[in-house]
Amino acid sequence: MPEPTPLGTPAPRAAGAPRPPLVARLRSYLGLGVVAALAVVAYQSTNFDLASLFTGAADFFSFFGRLAPDWSALRIIWRPLIETMQIAYVGTVLGTSIALPLIFLASANTALDPISMLVARVVLTILRSIPDLLWAALFVTLLAPGALPGIVALTFFTVGVLAKLGSETVESADPGPLEALRAAGAGRNRTIVYAVWPQVAATMTSFILYSFEINVRASVILGFVGAGGIGQLLYTRLNFFDYSGVGAIVAVTFVVVLAVDAVSVWARSKLI
Amino acid sequence: MIPSTVPRPPAHVRRTQLFVGALAVAAVVLFVLALLTINWPTWARVQSGLTRNVAPLLNGLVRPDLKTFPLAWRSMWETFHMAVLGTLLGAVLAFPLSFLAAGNLLGGRPFAMPGKALLVGVRTFPEILLAIIFVAAAGPGPTAGIMAMGLHSIGFLGKIFSDVIEGIDAGPTEAIRAAGGGPIQVFLYAVVPQVLPEFASNVLYRFEINLRAAAVLGLVGAGGIGLPLLQRLQFRRWDEVSMLLLVIIAFVVTVDLISSRIRRRLV
Amino acid sequence: MSHIAFQDVEVTYPGGLKALKGVTLEIPRGQFVVIVGLSGAGKSTLIRTVNSLVVPSKGDVAIDGASVTTARGAALRRMRSDIGMIFQTFNLVKRSSVLRNVLAGRLGDVPAWRGVLGTFPAADLAFAHECLARVGIPEKAFVRADALSGGQQQRVGIARALAQKPSVMLADEPVASLDPPTSHAVMSDLKRIAREDGITTIVNLHFIDMAREYADRIVGMRDGLVVFDGTPAEATDRAFEDIYGRPIDEDEDLRGA
Ligand SMILES: Nc1ncnc2c1ncn2[C@@H]1O[C@H](COP(=O)(O)OP(=O)(O)OP(=O)(O)O)[C@@H](O)[C@H]1O
Ligand SMILES: [Mg+2]
Repeated sequence: MPEPTPLGTPAPRAAGAPRPPLVARLRSYLGLGVVAALAVVAYQSTNFDLASLFTGAADFFSFFGRLAPDWSALRIIWRPLIETMQIAYVGTVLGTSIALPLIFLASANTALDPISMLVARVVLTILRSIPDLLWAALFVTLLAPGALPGIVALTFFTVGVLAKLGSETVESADPGPLEALRAAGAGRNRTIVYAVWPQVAATMTSFILYSFEINVRASVILGFVGAGGIGQLLYTRLNFFDYSGVGAIVAVTFVVVLAVDAVSVWARSKLI
Repeated sequence: MIPSTVPRPPAHVRRTQLFVGALAVAAVVLFVLALLTINWPTWARVQSGLTRNVAPLLNGLVRPDLKTFPLAWRSMWETFHMAVLGTLLGAVLAFPLSFLAAGNLLGGRPFAMPGKALLVGVRTFPEILLAIIFVAAAGPGPTAGIMAMGLHSIGFLGKIFSDVIEGIDAGPTEAIRAAGGGPIQVFLYAVVPQVLPEFASNVLYRFEINLRAAAVLGLVGAGGIGLPLLQRLQFRRWDEVSMLLLVIIAFVVTVDLISSRIRRRLV
Repeated sequence: MSHIAFQDVEVTYPGGLKALKGVTLEIPRGQFVVIVGLSGAGKSTLIRTVNSLVVPSKGDVAIDGASVTTARGAALRRMRSDIGMIFQTFNLVKRSSVLRNVLAGRLGDVPAWRGVLGTFPAADLAFAHECLARVGIPEKAFVRADALSGGQQQRVGIARALAQKPSVMLADEPVASLDPPTSHAVMSDLKRIAREDGITTIVNLHFIDMAREYADRIVGMRDGLVVFDGTPAEATDRAFEDIYGRPIDEDEDLRGA
């Protein structure tokens, strides 16, 4: 379903830059060389079949032709679709409430002490490196199939997504008010509540909405590994070659996800 | 101090407070409603899952199976190579498309619309869904995964590329036109140098995302480390799962570190 | 007994730079002290040792006989809550309302969750409003801090410090970012409040005429040492030339009336 719009457009580069010196140019040629070499190695090791790019693409589009939706499937769609949204929402809320304290622990300007800061950073880095579906597959095996592993998976996933964005924001907060509060005898909690939180609240809320958007899209596919939601239905329909059913599911899901996305993007634009 | 002397906030402040409060209450109510209506598994089911698996999982996590390392290492390299090709494929195809979709270069807004629509359409579907379709169409294996990632990345990169192009400074373009340069000179000497660092940085960022995606594409048979992992999960070979997870984490963290370092120097 | 006592205070910054080279000063309760000196003389460093934002590497700073320098944790926080501080760049939370900024100085023993929800004890609210009234901007309570002029922002800074009910006030170049008339208005506010509440005040200033106008006592610093200590009357142009180590230009910005 639609990719959330990236956060913030990169700033344009300074205009009319003079031609870079020789060393810089050599370095960029070196970079190109490395990329080319990587591509060749990758091409060989994966036996990538460039020709099938065209035959595959042709199949791909003919496949779409068979997706003409069968709207009678609507009857069985709505329940798992609601479950999908529930998984995304509950996962986002739980993930956020775990992520927030961790973010303040992991940011240099709000950390308790160097050791817990390091621990928090390591934990967050590890969480961040594991993709959503992997979490889901893990918890399906560990707990039981259904919505529960989906929620737990998205909770962990959310912590990973929010952590990096969040602690970068917290660390870039204006240090002036923090110092003022420290000078007034405020402890860590009071400094966070009065000096840091007001500075980062809008950005942080926008990040939470952003991870909700990501989670909604993730929750659609969690069912592929048995973690509840519309994905489970989609997967069985696909396995039964019921392409018109698949068409209906994809179409409805697409519309719902787009709608959630649109609302969230609009809310984010209001925030900053 | 008499509390009654405290001035009340003006109306617009109270309205904002009320609105934010209402939103917060709605969020909590929704959360509780969701908790109440979700189809939870029975506690006995969860408990049996936990008792059967947690101890072996922890056991496996602290004692990863060393014999699985060669397999893990090989599959992770395949995953890495898939991500490389998928990202390159996406970048190469997104490049021309993004110029079509940008409103400020080729003919302007009306021409940009179809380009933009194409980009949105292409990233409408998650790569795992695309991968399922490609596996159905072209058979299982890395090729399906690479194409799924490539197709999906076109949408993502194309959108960012065209935003970058729309944000460029018109000065150099005009300077080269004023000096008698044609569209090719303008493109080569004014547009490309301005956008290239941003492009490269975003391609790297997408590569970080794709590496994670590639690690799960195997779950639907599209190559990479996902399939061996899923199999071992299903057979609850926790020590082997643990080794595979360790390799994934180490690989992804290392790539992230290198990539973000390069990105910082680019922009 | 003196209110604030610096005893042979030395500060060495990481990197080895010695910013204070043995300062001994006794400041009696209620005195309004202005510290002058060239940039880099150690004025900010000295003022920051009073609330231990900078910790002396040698010597001791005591308030009412209790050492700030050796205090740690909760004890240090308790001592700091008795010391108001005003900054050159105001250091307000720009996105918060003026009232919230003032309250932030107040709420020593109010649990943090009340701050999250924004439900403050009525007595604290009333006092915060009173502090704003004392610096002359009671009507700005519900305005966002970044919507104020520089002079008004510094008044919020003063109100925040006042909300602590401090017995000591520190001000590090409180008017350096303000225009001359506003500078005078802010300085007279500061002086008036210090008088009314009997607050011992240490102010860093760059402007000679303002130092003479507002100070009870002028301390001149050069290169980490106190080189002048006397009344405004004793602080002649000659004395200032000594402190600054150069003649004072006629056209220098003295912030005179
Ligand atoms: N955090 C720090 N780390 C290292 N050196 C510092 C630090 N803060 C100040 N210094 C140095 O200590 C010396 C005294 O600095 P200080 O800020 O106390 O001077 P000042 O009299 O307040 O000057 P100004 O009028 O410019 O504010 C300077 O040489 C300065 O470079
Ligand atoms: Mg200073």
